[in-house]
Amino acid sequence: MNALGLFGAFGTLFAAGYGLLALLIRRSVRLSLAEQIAFSWLFGTGAVSLLLWVFGFFADGLLLQGLVNVVCISLGMVGWNLKKPSLIRRKPRWFEVVLSAVIAIQIAIVFYLSFVHTLGWDGLLNWEIKARYAFANGGVLPAAYFSDIGRAFSHPEYPLAIPFTELWLYFWLGESNQFWAKAIFPTFYVAGTFLVGAFTARLSGRTWLGLLMAALLFFVPQVTVEVGCARSGYADFPLSVFYFAAAGCLFCASEQGNAVFFRLYAGCLTLLPWVKRDGLILWAVATACGVFIILRTRKSPSSFLAFLPGIVIILAWRLYLNATHALQAADFLPFNLETLRTHLNRALPLLSALVAEFCSLSTWSLFWFIVAVAFLYALPRMRESGVVALLVALIAPIVLYLCLYLFSNWPNYLDHVGLSISRLLMQVAPIGFLLIVLAISRHPEKQPQRVQMPNRATCAIACSERTAVVELA
Amino acid sequence: MTSPWPCGRIAHLLLWCGLAVALLAVSIPRIYFGATEYPLRPGGALHTTDSYFKFATGREGVSKSLISTFESMPMSKPIVIFIRRGDAFSSGLGMTTAYLASPHAVRLCEIDGTHPDNELSRINPAKVAAVVLCRLNRPAWLPAGKVFGPGLEIVSLGEKG
Repeated sequence: MNALGLFGAFGTLFAAGYGLLALLIRRSVRLSLAEQIAFSWLFGTGAVSLLLWVFGFFADGLLLQGLVNVVCISLGMVGWNLKKPSLIRRKPRWFEVVLSAVIAIQIAIVFYLSFVHTLGWDGLLNWEIKARYAFANGGVLPAAYFSDIGRAFSHPEYPLAIPFTELWLYFWLGESNQFWAKAIFPTFYVAGTFLVGAFTARLSGRTWLGLLMAALLFFVPQVTVEVGCARSGYADFPLSVFYFAAAGCLFCASEQGNAVFFRLYAGCLTLLPWVKRDGLILWAVATACGVFIILRTRKSPSSFLAFLPGIVIILAWRLYLNATHALQAADFLPFNLETLRTHLNRALPLLSALVAEFCSLSTWSLFWFIVAVAFLYALPRMRESGVVALLVALIAPIVLYLCLYLFSNWPNYLDHVGLSISRLLMQVAPIGFLLIVLAISRHPEKQPQRVQMPNRATCAIACSERTAVVELA
Repeated sequence: MTSPWPCGRIAHLLLWCGLAVALLAVSIPRIYFGATEYPLRPGGALHTTDSYFKFATGREGVSKSLISTFESMPMSKPIVIFIRRGDAFSSGLGMTTAYLASPHAVRLCEIDGTHPDNELSRINPAKVAAVVLCRLNRPAWLPAGKVFGPGLEIVSLGEKG
């Protein structure tokens, strides 16, 4: 019964996501199967959680589930009609097969770890709690929950993408279930791995390099085994996947005339503030990068409309919280110049805490050191708008997060840093892989085979139906 | 004729191969330890909370007992949960209990020390369904409650309405 329920829940999530993906790309570009799976999952979780929230204003229980199911299936059918999933067209080379097998084993390990471990503390008390309470109330979070002082610890003001994806599983399972709720997190890892592989393959024009980068993601301990990692039930890794997808698409959209990736960027950007409150900062950074790309590549002014859905979600959620008198977290002091002035003395200890985090081998291994080397490689390429956007997407959130700690209201702000900095860094970490692959495959202008070899898609040549396909075998 | 493997390219290749190998060498032991730390355990609808309670109280299957205890209490009245300031176990127990006490409203009261006598004496028993003591001592004048292992006791103050 559980298996059937999970199949139904995941099937509808993917169907909704695939439909949205097809509507966004139409017939103008051929994505690899890995990209289709990853984007379908991201758009599916975003769409289903938003639909549950919106339809929850006038329906609950079976009617709510039925309505969302109808939309999911309809989207899936529209997607199927618009665009059939592409098939592998070429025989993979032996080392690509080996790397694919390694990735498959890694994914299996992450699923295993997810089921071995319990939901993390925040995973249970910040996220799953909302799914559980909503499920017990017919799929709608009780209005009293938002103003319940006794449950303020669960951050009622946090957005609902993750809890309502869990809620969707509960609807299909017929019960709230802390064990199966964990199934969505390794799936985000799958999406993240596929996107790292696909984007790095596009950037470098080499499938094997994409597969290698995807395999290396597993070897960042913060992603795999540390507190708040991909399997722990926290929202940080899912947020990092959405952010990575937005940044990767934007990089591809920086090529002239590549409107499809700009639409995909807009889709991922929209969902950032819906995944986690910190997503607002990532949304702001990704939006700034988007504005830069629009201006540098002289895209049509209508491109600015890409930012509208995100603004609508931010405002709608803010209005909803006001209407439900939701309690606000007391983690931060008021953001004003006076607080900034009186807390500037924290800057140096914060910087040294950040450096210590970068150097923490048990948490990050050599990941940030390698990113630093890649950063040096990227410096001579600062004229390329895509590279600038990537660097800003990587560095700006780190700077902004560090500035946030200036306003920490914790008795010991360094405790606040120690508890959260690794998870915040994880939100931008996948972008480091794009930087690394840019460094490894430097001087792309000296590699004309990038655009000549069949079955290798780069961002530059991914603009038409005739584009060759990058496939993770 | 230029060599297909100029020095710069070889250095570039060596650098990145070296970095990749170093990354693997540092990461693999850490990930291996993290991945083999715990054995696979049977799952259940209350898998996570049961594990927390097992860790904090040593008892199995506490979540289900807690839920049925709270269900037997009047829903219109809140549950008051006492936790000890500076005691992570106590706060953890309190928050996990609050999580399971839904749809009751809950009040979390953080106190200094281990004796909540003063705070309890201020409670009107007619307006509260139960008090929960998380790693705190029950005063002698308060009737004994249901004990869920060391450190967790629920004292019911009213009948189901």
